[in-house]
Amino acid sequence: MSDIDMDKTNKTIDTVKRGLARRYAAERRFRLFGLIAIVISLSFLVLLFGTVISKGYSAFQQTFVQLEVTFDRAMIDRDNPANSDFGGLVKAAMGREFPEVSGRKDKRKLNGLVSTGAVYQLQDMVSTDPGLIGTTNLVWVPADDDVDMLMKGHAKRTGAESDRRLDDQQLAWIGKWEQEGKIRKQFNRAFFTSGDSREPELAGIWGAFVGTILTLALTLALSFPIGISASIYLEEFAPRNRFVDLVEVNINNLAAVPSIVFGLLGLAVFINFFHLPRSSPLVGGLVLTLMTLPTIIIASRASLQSVPPSIREAALGIGASKMQMVNHHVLPLALPGMLTGTIIGMARALGETAPLLMIGMVAFIVDIPDSFVTPATALPVQIFLWADSPERAFVERTSAAILVLLAFLVVMNSLAVILRNRFERRW
Amino acid sequence: MFKRGVIVAGACLLVAMGGVGLAQARDYISIVGSSTVYPFATVVAEKFGRISSFKTPAIEATGSGGGLKLFCGGVGVQYPDITNSSRRIKASEVKNCNDNGVKQIVEIKIGYDGIVLANSKKTVPLNISRKELFLALAKNIPDPKGSEMVIPNPYKTWHDINPALPDNAIEVLGPPPTSGTRDAFMELVMEDGGKEFPWIKALGKKDKNAFKQICHSMREDGAFIEAGENDNLIVQKLEVNPKAFGIFGFSYLDQNSDKLQGTLVDGEEPTFEAIADGKYPVSRPLFFYVKKAHVGMIPGIKEFLNEFTSEKAWGDEGYLTDKGLIPMPKAERVKFRNDAGSLNNLSL
Amino acid sequence: MRPVKKYGSEHRGTVGVITSENPRMTCRNVNVYYGDKHAILDVSIDIGRNEVIAMIGPSGCGKSTFLRCLNRMNDTIDSCRVTGEIFLDDQNIYDKKIDVVPLRAQVGMVFQKPNPFPKSIYDNVAYGPKIHGLVQNKVEQDEVVETSLKKAGLWEEVKDRLAHPGTGLSGGQQQRLCIARTIAVNPEVILMDEPCSALDPIATAKIEELIDELRAHYTIAIVTHSMQQAARVSQRTAYFHLGDLIEVGETKQIFTNPSHRLTEDYITGRFG
Ligand SMILES: Nc1ncnc2c1ncn2[C@@H]1O[C@H](COP(=O)(O)OP(=O)(O)OP(=O)(O)O)[C@@H](O)[C@H]1O
Ligand SMILES: [Mg+2]
Repeated sequence: MSDIDMDKTNKTIDTVKRGLARRYAAERRFRLFGLIAIVISLSFLVLLFGTVISKGYSAFQQTFVQLEVTFDRAMIDRDNPANSDFGGLVKAAMGREFPEVSGRKDKRKLNGLVSTGAVYQLQDMVSTDPGLIGTTNLVWVPADDDVDMLMKGHAKRTGAESDRRLDDQQLAWIGKWEQEGKIRKQFNRAFFTSGDSREPELAGIWGAFVGTILTLALTLALSFPIGISASIYLEEFAPRNRFVDLVEVNINNLAAVPSIVFGLLGLAVFINFFHLPRSSPLVGGLVLTLMTLPTIIIASRASLQSVPPSIREAALGIGASKMQMVNHHVLPLALPGMLTGTIIGMARALGETAPLLMIGMVAFIVDIPDSFVTPATALPVQIFLWADSPERAFVERTSAAILVLLAFLVVMNSLAVILRNRFERRW
Repeated sequence: MFKRGVIVAGACLLVAMGGVGLAQARDYISIVGSSTVYPFATVVAEKFGRISSFKTPAIEATGSGGGLKLFCGGVGVQYPDITNSSRRIKASEVKNCNDNGVKQIVEIKIGYDGIVLANSKKTVPLNISRKELFLALAKNIPDPKGSEMVIPNPYKTWHDINPALPDNAIEVLGPPPTSGTRDAFMELVMEDGGKEFPWIKALGKKDKNAFKQICHSMREDGAFIEAGENDNLIVQKLEVNPKAFGIFGFSYLDQNSDKLQGTLVDGEEPTFEAIADGKYPVSRPLFFYVKKAHVGMIPGIKEFLNEFTSEKAWGDEGYLTDKGLIPMPKAERVKFRNDAGSLNNLSL
Repeated sequence: MRPVKKYGSEHRGTVGVITSENPRMTCRNVNVYYGDKHAILDVSIDIGRNEVIAMIGPSGCGKSTFLRCLNRMNDTIDSCRVTGEIFLDDQNIYDKKIDVVPLRAQVGMVFQKPNPFPKSIYDNVAYGPKIHGLVQNKVEQDEVVETSLKKAGLWEEVKDRLAHPGTGLSGGQQQRLCIARTIAVNPEVILMDEPCSALDPIATAKIEELIDELRAHYTIAIVTHSMQQAARVSQRTAYFHLGDLIEVGETKQIFTNPSHRLTEDYITGRFG
């Protein structure tokens, strides 16, 4: 090598070295920005979870009051429990507890300390075990939501009487219960087993949960096979022409359409034209299917496109038919991506209330749905409805419902990850 | 894999179509309508569902107008049986009902609701007239110099309107135009307040549109803020900002009496009693309407009416009063219970 | 019969004998277009029964493109259009009635880049026989897998790890796996696109041996950049240049006494 050449190489190295510092600085900057971004989003997440949990955890407990209930033969109609005066049993028990209370107004105040749910509880007890009639038992019944708020520290005990939901007299009664250990907080089973109620202490998430499961199950059962079939057809079989381009553009547009539009469509088509039952998971599932289909199709097509063409050639070259090529080679490779797209679509469907509004699923529904055609709500709807209720005790229940929704999401996403890892056999 | 998918999808579609057959029968009452009546109707529905052998009615809050539209859609299981309304049905709506075959409608008034202006207990309560409220909240107000013209609202503080009022900036959170509460506030406060000016009152008789233009246009300069449908949100904002006022139904004031106080309107405090005997001026009747053709077709409608109109529900000490419903006088209750019992037809 | 005159580089028609006495495949006036690009210009050639024909030429001249016409692999490329006629025995394979699935079972292909399925070694080889129903039971299938892998010279290396992924093999092993996969279907014509480009001399020798063996029963078209390989395995050689088929002839003749200046330039290393 000549001297001149040596000079040149040295110069190259020098130039490279000079630029090096700048290049590394750029890299460090990028890393820093990335780190900041992650820290910010994580802290928002922590903040969100923190507030929701701190507001909502208390809803998993409920205040109960111990009453000595005499299942009076005279007040219970053994053959027709609906005709019995269980309210009278509760009132009698309260009267024995506080014999000094007299006068209509005071008695009303006193009886207001236990939930109306106490009546339904006694009714249930008797219908499952008629042997109780004629006996006297100690029964823990739910307290009224105002009492519950007081026991949980969400309501004041001091200050002017008019500023409080419970007056001095009621506080004195509660104080007596506290002294005698007849009032306690225990796990709020009703929250996980019952449907909606206008009494916060009786309201539960189970109805909405079942509604969500039914709706999403239908959505998944329809949108996954249809979406995947559509994407496979478009990607592998459809001829390349104007019409298919038009379909493609429309699918992309549909993915961006506001979800309420799908609700309007569902109202017009499924309810008004096909006369499917309003408020039912059936219609909800169909509407959410329409909404999630574009997402699933787009994600599935992207994952089909990412399968290397050499695999397709290998299969075709050996004499596989197109269908065999897709089923045996392309689909297994594209499936993880398709699952991811489906999960994204389902997660979106899970959080949706707007389209459900139009088809009547934003409704007060107490009974637990037991089929695809009985009226139902969904978890986000329940959150929305509770957030809008005037009773103070619904605040913590709203947060608790959000927690349940988040838990649902986490379970769904973990399931997706597990499924994906199952399928994703990277060779 | 693929084939299986197609089969599953096909099966689901079949199930869906099977739903068409099932739609022929509905064994629960379907109720739609006003979000103001919703809290009361739901309580009755829940009680009814728990103590009777019938299913619990499903209730949607669609707004009064939306509810009546659905209700008047026709006769048949896909249409609701009952609609709640925070105002009386209009003649045009009755006609729409008739055109769609809904010929017989039973009207039940259930009680009254007060609309309150409230603020945080941390400050003093306000005592204000409807005229002053109009002057505080209308986008354009009559020229203070006396000519029959409107000028853009110049008032910045309550004090500007009436020296007796506090020297705080006007800041009122209210419901959006889609809400029934907003409608009622417009009618009972803004219109009545505007009518205090004789020439506006005269205009109301002459040119309804021009009148509405003046009375129904709320300020857009930040003194009136649309806070969304969620009344709880307004309550929370009032706690944070003691100088602000909020407009909502009486039940929210009732439930938050430890934090909020009601503004005295025309010298009357919004209390249960004052609304019940009509002293408090900003109150409105609440109704629901029943489709007579569905009685007998959908199980439980008669029994539901019986529960709703019973004294233990809507009476002076009924459970609906616990939820903030302001009961009607005894005579009215008897009349409407009778209407419900014999399914008397609505007469406008 | 042998043209005495050397054709200059300006002449682009085919010289030599394009026909075969016992043709297995007959190609006439084949043109291939990729969109507007004319990649194969009016090529006519016969491929004889039980012969190995080598296709040589500089990079990008259209060897792969032409080879892929022979089992209609070009159908899979949207922009690709083929005109002219290609007969397999008496059948025009570009006839509308022809089903490409049995055609490709008849005319197998080994691709330029090794492309094993992301499945086990065993499944890679067993796949073809399985979908075509060539094996009735597991025993037969095992047998086909073993013989195919043995023929491709891979058996000794992989017999203990048949369940391992085919994509985990080295590049050369992958190519032999693809060859095994192709011959497992027992095709009548085998198209090989640079089958040995990633192989060491020992493996190359094995493949060449295999090609020689296969010739007894099959017809083979092989694309190669190695002149020596073409000389070793083929009976006839075709020289392509920028989409033209420049010269076809007996391999010996092409390498010892090419008629065309372009052919001569290429094989003597002055060009390409
Ligand atoms: N899919 C395609 N689309 C467009 N043009 C293509 C395509 N495949 C090949 N070509 C073009 O066709 C011509 C012939 O390509 P081909 O792959 O047949 O060359 P080759 O002779 O096999 O080259 P090599 O020896 O490098 O493999 C080239 O100019 C190439 O750019
Ligand atoms: Mg090539």
